[in-house]
Amino acid sequence: MKLLIVEDQARTGQYLSQGLSEAGFATELAADGETGQFLALSGDHDLLILDVMLPGRDGWQILQAVRQAGLDTPVLFLTARDAVQDRVHGLELGADDYLVKPFAFSELLARVRSLLRRGASPSQDTLLGLADLRLDLIRRRAERAGQRIDLTAKEFALLELLLRRQGEVLPKSLIASQVWDMNFDSDTNVIEVAIRRLRLKIDDPHPDKLIHTVRGMGYVLEERTE
Amino acid sequence: MIRRVSLGSRLALLFAACTAAVSLGAGLLFNRASEQHFVELDQQLLDSRLSLFRTQLAGLAAVTELQARLPALRNELSHQADLALRISGSDGATWFESRSGLPPAPAAGLATLHTPGTDYRSLAVRLAQDSPQSPQLTLYLDITHHQHFLQGMQRLIWLTVGLSALATALLGAWAVRSGLRPLRQMGQVAASVSARSLTTRLPVAQMPEELAELATSMNAMLQRLDDAFQRLSAFSADIAHELRTPLSNLLTHTQVTLTRPRSLEEYREALHGNLEELQWMAQMINDMLFLAKADHGLLVPGQAPLALHEEVDALLEYYAPLAEDSDVQMLREGEALLQGDRHMLRRALSNLLDNALRFTPAGGQIRVTLEAGPKISVANTGGSIEAAALPRLFDRFYRVDPARREGSSEHAGLGLAITRSIVQAHGGSIRAECEGGWTRFVIGFPDSQ
Repeated sequence: MKLLIVEDQARTGQYLSQGLSEAGFATELAADGETGQFLALSGDHDLLILDVMLPGRDGWQILQAVRQAGLDTPVLFLTARDAVQDRVHGLELGADDYLVKPFAFSELLARVRSLLRRGASPSQDTLLGLADLRLDLIRRRAERAGQRIDLTAKEFALLELLLRRQGEVLPKSLIASQVWDMNFDSDTNVIEVAIRRLRLKIDDPHPDKLIHTVRGMGYVLEERTE
Repeated sequence: MIRRVSLGSRLALLFAACTAAVSLGAGLLFNRASEQHFVELDQQLLDSRLSLFRTQLAGLAAVTELQARLPALRNELSHQADLALRISGSDGATWFESRSGLPPAPAAGLATLHTPGTDYRSLAVRLAQDSPQSPQLTLYLDITHHQHFLQGMQRLIWLTVGLSALATALLGAWAVRSGLRPLRQMGQVAASVSARSLTTRLPVAQMPEELAELATSMNAMLQRLDDAFQRLSAFSADIAHELRTPLSNLLTHTQVTLTRPRSLEEYREALHGNLEELQWMAQMINDMLFLAKADHGLLVPGQAPLALHEEVDALLEYYAPLAEDSDVQMLREGEALLQGDRHMLRRALSNLLDNALRFTPAGGQIRVTLEAGPKISVANTGGSIEAAALPRLFDRFYRVDPARREGSSEHAGLGLAITRSIVQAHGGSIRAECEGGWTRFVIGFPDSQ
């Protein structure tokens, strides 16, 4: 997976590039609009991350050029401005997502992964699992090590999300949005409590823990061998 | 075109036109009256002369009888240089003319005749009044000097009209200029207003009645601007203050961490500490940007039909684990419909529930009541807030307990302000009450029916 980052602020570009590389993506960084557009038009990227305000050509112009060239590479916009008309303008031009600075890196990473997954056909699996944890989506059943676990509807949805995106750090805001449809930053610890309750049922009776807290970033479901 | 002419010039021109019309009217009236007066004088003169000639010519019946009377007649006429006489027979033939070139005159009565060089007033009668065969006497009075006088007067009238119009225009322009001075003063005040001088006010007491209202409105506008500006300044100061604490924590923490080599674990811990501060700051900045957008009227809520009870239920479900943890019971009563923006309203209500959960003691209750109207009330047991503090709950960065601020990873104190902005963007209003052991937030929306 190769990502193109067009960002004129040297530090921001550098941090994004480092973070995404360490998350397992190949990244290319352009510091101005002209270079960015030249690279974007080469067509060998899986995702474009564009800053709106750029020297030379702005992010929207690059997006326009890319779409005119017939490329449907997903585009994620980063911007320091959050005017509704900007957002609408970006989406009209064919942007796929939009993040307003300041944003958390975990949030960016989650969005990048969502966009990259969007191209692939959605998983039709009705049976999800990790280690000895099994989730049957049709029969709405969860079990671990052969033992049935009773989950509330929201706990089930939360576990499904964690299983579908296992190995990914999911920020709290993303969990709130995906599971409860709460699309705003809320600084309550509702998600913490919900995760703790899920852990109580999934992990506490077993020696191998599957749900892990990544401090300051979010939660991840994965098998860890100590 | 007309609009571009200044108010002063327009008024001056109107004044001039009025004066011209009035003086023209007066002049014409006077002209006519004096002409009438002359006619009356002439008639009297002609009447008296005519009776004289009638006496002299009494009994005259044929042209042949005239010769004998001519000397006396001429003598009489010579006393009156401006008089002329014509005697003509009943057939119209002229028997005698005291002067040549007399114009023909009507057969009876007074008439005004014009010939080149001379103007006459004529009076014609029969010598014997009752006999149609009697010869006709026509007496002419030279009125050229009268006419000259009248013409002179007409010239004078036109001159008066012109001069008075001009004078009124000039005086009017001056009067208007000084009369409109309060307006110019207003303009000067308006021009001098800047962020630093919003306290300037127009002296309403010294304004003429017509401008007092305008001046009052302008003062009210300045007052509103001043208030808004004060609020904005206070807000900026608050932002600086609120950001100062986490920034100072970050600086101190980072510098202390770097003073000597530490274990990997300690570095990780330090970064986590910083991350928490940074997330708190990012959250606060995002909240403030949201409020700034609301202040600029950029918060445009969507207009989707919403079942408020469903939204409230979703929120209660979201908060349920938290409520159970703190042993608080949450319930919803009633149903209501509203046209609005789902995400914004969820955020607004979520802030209220979050706030309620924070202040409800264990074993307490949070009750969301929906009524048609629509009206939403979020009440929780516990909490005793002083009446004076209730409206201030919605102020940015306001905290009931000042000790709660600074450094805590708690709310920045913007939640209720955001709720109010969202409610107001929907055209509604919100207030807080505290009575009988309950704290209650009541939102009222305008009836959408």
